[in-house]
Amino acid sequence: MEGVLGNLLLGFSVALTPSILAYAFVGCVIGTLVGMLPGLGPLAGISLLLPATFGLNPIIAIVLLAGVYYGAMYGGSTTSILMRIPGEAASVMTCIDGYAMTQRGRGGPALAIAAIGSFAAGTLSVIALMFLAPTLASFALRFGPPEYTALLVMGLLVLSYMSGGSMVKTLTMAVAGLLFGMIGIDAMSGYTRFSYGVIELSDGIGIVPVAVGLFGLSEILLTAGQPTPPPVQKPALRQLVPSRDELRMSVGPIVRGSVLGFLIGIIPGSAHIISSFVSYGIERRMSAHPERFGNGAIEGVAGPESANNAAATGAFVPMLALGIPTGPVTAVMLAAIMVHGILPGPMLIVEQPELFWGFVASMYVGNVVLLILNLPLVGVFVNLLRIPYSYLYPAILCFCILGVYSVASSVVDVWIMLGMGGLGYVLRKFGYDLAPIALGLVLAPMLELSVRQSLAMSGGSFGIFFERPIAVTMFVVAGMLILFALKPLVFKSKDWRAEVGLDEQG
Amino acid sequence: MSESSAAGAPRSLRIDRISGAVFVAIALLVAWENRAYPLGTLSEPGPGYMPLGLAVALGVFGLIVALRGNASPLFDTISWTESRRAVVVLIGCGVAAFALEPAGYRLTMIALLVFMLGVVERKRPLVTLLVAFGFAFISYFVFATLLNVQLPRGPWGL
Repeated sequence: MEGVLGNLLLGFSVALTPSILAYAFVGCVIGTLVGMLPGLGPLAGISLLLPATFGLNPIIAIVLLAGVYYGAMYGGSTTSILMRIPGEAASVMTCIDGYAMTQRGRGGPALAIAAIGSFAAGTLSVIALMFLAPTLASFALRFGPPEYTALLVMGLLVLSYMSGGSMVKTLTMAVAGLLFGMIGIDAMSGYTRFSYGVIELSDGIGIVPVAVGLFGLSEILLTAGQPTPPPVQKPALRQLVPSRDELRMSVGPIVRGSVLGFLIGIIPGSAHIISSFVSYGIERRMSAHPERFGNGAIEGVAGPESANNAAATGAFVPMLALGIPTGPVTAVMLAAIMVHGILPGPMLIVEQPELFWGFVASMYVGNVVLLILNLPLVGVFVNLLRIPYSYLYPAILCFCILGVYSVASSVVDVWIMLGMGGLGYVLRKFGYDLAPIALGLVLAPMLELSVRQSLAMSGGSFGIFFERPIAVTMFVVAGMLILFALKPLVFKSKDWRAEVGLDEQG
Repeated sequence: MSESSAAGAPRSLRIDRISGAVFVAIALLVAWENRAYPLGTLSEPGPGYMPLGLAVALGVFGLIVALRGNASPLFDTISWTESRRAVVVLIGCGVAAFALEPAGYRLTMIALLVFMLGVVERKRPLVTLLVAFGFAFISYFVFATLLNVQLPRGPWGL
């Protein structure tokens, strides 16, 4: 405990330096804007800002990008509550009761509860991150190639199980992502694979053009030409204060959403999206009056908003402790750290304490900044939504091209982004989840290396994966997930995802 | 009633059957292309080992998606109302990608925005030009000048 507090003090000595404070603030503002704009989720926002972080020191870079990430989580709630437009996917559930509250003239309290819930969840989960990440990192020092193989396979299966819709379709996407990750030079043999003479492909396909294409561009292709959004309500500051009853009813959902969101955030997948769906389902189930849900229940705002913010923080645990991204957002952030020559993994916390603890402390600071930003300045931010979408989306397109090109000054990356945008557009029409593609792309080199090293260690025997306790445990978990997924097929029962409404997102 | 829709796709086709079949075809293509890389042995897997394994997995999953596809929606039920605009947007961006290095960032963005706002969205010419020039020069100043991001310059240093 004393060690943690000492380290946290070190973190605050880093996070409270004026330059880091300024970048945390800038990150939160950009994130809030990005979260509010339809077509620009946290991933596209972080990807676009990535090139601008190359010239910064690594602590500032990660603080800035993390600010964008949880700023977007906060920002997404504003458009959901006031306009029924989810700025990013995790806010879909907030739309239901948040907008119903706005229609009943309670939009202000809904915004306040969303901000308070996000703040509480963000703070609680940073505390959990602070204790869990170093423990997990020291445990991960026992991992060899077979354990990493098991961890990555389990991660992909958890992602497939947790995501909405068909598990097989999600696995198909994950394998497609892994195949994209095979393009480029094979690290073990030096062979250049599937590059067809394009020199830029020798280094493989980068996560940024794929992420911006799949998530940013495909969204624009789907929504371009939509009618201008309806007029925006701007609640005054005094209208934001929730009633005593609303506060009382929100406490439970906020605590439950925080715990649930953090736990879901640790496991791979689009955790912040899934957590808000699951939280909404649980709150509806636990409510004595489930019929209020859909008609402006404050619990339907408090739970999902807390859960998606807690999940955003939880996702940093495996990223910082194991060097393994749980989703596309953390994958891009890992890329931002690696650009500076820092190798993420179990040794990061020991070798770069300023980076880790400065980052943790900056998250406390970021949560306070966002609370200050989101409540009094909500009227200022919603002005952005008055810009007609027909002006916004061409500008977003230009930002996509700018951001992708500037990562490596490569036009090929722009082509990849356009290809991925088209692919994402078609796949979404066919009901496929896109996050596994991005995650598969990032995990592919790690998975290939660990599989081949494991086989080399065992002289070609797959038995090595079933001889080591940690690896066996992970494979058992993976096997159980497959059995759970098969259960509704065999017994014709309802899947848990359908019960919590998760299948509605697909 | 005809078995084919106006677009030529049979009406009984379901989206999972189509997408599953496409993934099987892609898996076969990858496996075919993978012949160029040595598979190695189990104790020393080569560069072709993992791609082949993944191609097999993609083929198997694609087959399962296709076989379980009877409950999926019919292909005809997918709405493609925005597809025309989506294609135009993609073509516009493609041309911009071609022009980016020879013409420079600012000229390319001006041209792209004039096309998107003036031609696709039919905004008034003056507003279109103001937005296009404003966006191109302000974004260049913020990213290239303030944040030191490398952006291409075209003729006359633009």
